[in-house]
Amino acid sequence: MARLAVRLQVVEIAVGLGLVLLVARAAEVQLLQGRRWAEEAQAQRTERIVLAARRGALLDRHGTPLALTQETYHVGVAPNELRDPVKDGALIARRLALSARAWSQALRRRYAYFAGPFSALEVQPLRNVRGVHFEPVLNRFYPAPEMAHATIGRLGDDGRGASGLEKTLDSLLAGRPGAAVVLKDRAGREYESPARVIAQPESGLDVVLTLDAELQEIAQRALDEALRRMDADGGDVVMLDPATGEVLALASHQRDGTARPSAFTDTFEPGSIAKIFAAAALLSLGRVAPVDRVSGEGGTYRMKGRPTPVTDEEPLPLLTLADAIRVSSNIAMVKFVARLAPAEQYGVLRDFGFGAPTGIEFPAEAAGRLRPPSEWTRPSAASLAMGYELSVTPIQVAAAYGALANDGLLLAPSLIREVRSPGGAVLYRHRVEPVRRVVRPEVAAALRDLLRGVVERGTGTEAALSTFPVAAKTGTARRVVNGRYAPGQYTASFAALFPADHPQLVLVVKIDNPHKGSYFAAQTAAPVTRSMLEQALAARTVALDRARLSTAAPRATVAPLEDDGGVVPYVVPWPYHPDSAAPGPARPVPDVTGMEMRAAVRALHRRGFRVALKGWGAAEHTWPAAGDSAALGSTVTLFAVAPRPDAVPPATPPRKPRR
Amino acid sequence: MRLKGRHWIAAWLVAFLATTWVVYARQTAAIRAARELAEIRARRANLEGRRADLERRIRRAESRAVLVPLAQSRLGLHLPSDSEIILLPGPTSGSGSH
Repeated sequence: MARLAVRLQVVEIAVGLGLVLLVARAAEVQLLQGRRWAEEAQAQRTERIVLAARRGALLDRHGTPLALTQETYHVGVAPNELRDPVKDGALIARRLALSARAWSQALRRRYAYFAGPFSALEVQPLRNVRGVHFEPVLNRFYPAPEMAHATIGRLGDDGRGASGLEKTLDSLLAGRPGAAVVLKDRAGREYESPARVIAQPESGLDVVLTLDAELQEIAQRALDEALRRMDADGGDVVMLDPATGEVLALASHQRDGTARPSAFTDTFEPGSIAKIFAAAALLSLGRVAPVDRVSGEGGTYRMKGRPTPVTDEEPLPLLTLADAIRVSSNIAMVKFVARLAPAEQYGVLRDFGFGAPTGIEFPAEAAGRLRPPSEWTRPSAASLAMGYELSVTPIQVAAAYGALANDGLLLAPSLIREVRSPGGAVLYRHRVEPVRRVVRPEVAAALRDLLRGVVERGTGTEAALSTFPVAAKTGTARRVVNGRYAPGQYTASFAALFPADHPQLVLVVKIDNPHKGSYFAAQTAAPVTRSMLEQALAARTVALDRARLSTAAPRATVAPLEDDGGVVPYVVPWPYHPDSAAPGPARPVPDVTGMEMRAAVRALHRRGFRVALKGWGAAEHTWPAAGDSAALGSTVTLFAVAPRPDAVPPATPPRKPRR
Repeated sequence: MRLKGRHWIAAWLVAFLATTWVVYARQTAAIRAARELAEIRARRANLEGRRADLERRIRRAESRAVLVPLAQSRLGLHLPSDSEIILLPGPTSGSGSH
């Protein structure tokens, strides 16, 4: 009995010890290691997922989408879950564009994964097929993939901007991803349950670019067609609004098919299109008078320190500065710039922005090369006058010509017009950014006149329009390949202001190494410019101020004053002679005081004036005042007052504004 | 009145069942809502995809690459030269210009 009691005690003690150990272990697990086990359990049963933020859109200046973010799908198929593997399989293979072999391979796997990505339209018929699983993923979509490809850029594999504006604007476009927690089973599959959102994703900002989709298409098509016709190595087109510095179109094309943004990154020696900047230095410093002439030297001019003579293709005996620009005379320009000190010549080129990046919002902009006078050799001044020993990018040329169009004020070019929140609120709007005044307004006007002469009677006649004056300069320069001038290779370039009076558009066309036909810019780049201008004029939505164009151009064919047929004469002269863009002769403004408004307007129209109305009722006075002279086609403001029968006549007559 | 042992057990059982039912009902409603949300998202994605596809096709159809050859071949039109373009001056906004 005693032995039994002992045994029982032993068993009790053993059980007690076991219980104590169990409690101790439970205490250890719960109290000491509880946090770790809880975390591990949570990690096994839950998963923190990233909620991707929708990347902001890129739009053109009229709101046309250039880059959008769209929900697409990766598709997973579990063959053993399919209800009807033959029928469902055929549907899946058709929607996912799978070959018979790929689908038969997929059927042999437990779970087949197709990365795609597939659009919502492609996978829509598969949504109700059992065994097909979708993984939504936001994807970048370019409605017109070829449009401004190099400028817009693309995303990298990590979904961040890898090139072009996608890269520059990545911090604005990317948005901020959110996070959520989802439940999953032992096998790691997500439960069908609502996710617990920790942070909502914030969509990226939308960016409105300065590009005009229609002008862009015009530029791309014209460039592609020209390069194909001339069998050229490549080329660029830049269109810029000189009043704001906004880039309207940028087209670059290389023969090898690469989408390189060469308008920003590739430099070239501009040749004769840079002569106008030497002329700017000469005019702004007063070193040349309009009547100054230099000899054409019969087309060949030997300079000290220069191994090869300076030559002209079609020499004139005597040339003014206007002649030198008009016929693009190397000899005359070399002779004229001899009147400049190297620092003066360098300073003006530098002021026009050469040798420094323009600061446009692009990730890889070349600065070009403009050596300071301390690094010049003896013939450097002459070379610079002809556009050599200087390397520039097309965007620099466009900005510099924009300064000529903009009365001498150099503006920073820009590609960004607006930044908008996902809700549409404007957060940033581009403002004109003046860099510096390069030349005085009267000098800029004189330079525009020189450029106008190029198109009307010089080397740029192939770019002339019959309805609007164009100011431009041709340039044909030897091409540098691997640091040396390549024999027989040229770069043809053309820089134009349209229209010549109050320009609205700066165009730069560059064609690299044309093989077929002439290599001169006058026969290559100039006709391309003309073609683009014609298409831009005929386009519906192009960013041209047609009201200004229509008023700037014409000299009205005014009906005789005696002809009072009740028809308002003018307003569209056609066909239009280019010279008529000059201000018409002045004529006195008729006195229409007291006349009814309709009669007053008709009288002013008959005199050849345009009319702007202020007020309503009987004509009171005009500005310019009756009897003053005003140019034909200019606007006369007609002030009218409503007649008040009970009104007391004023003690003093109303004061007439003076001109 | 004092509850006896089995009454306590019954009360606890009822409470447990009620709580379980509430949890079950909430989960069911949540899952149903999640399904509806997913369906709506899918529909939205589908509509967005359709819109993007239509926009792309409209852009393509409106592009010069398509329009110009069609206009030339079917209608006998051509790209106008500048002398064939007439710009009519419009009224200046606000000033009542004529």
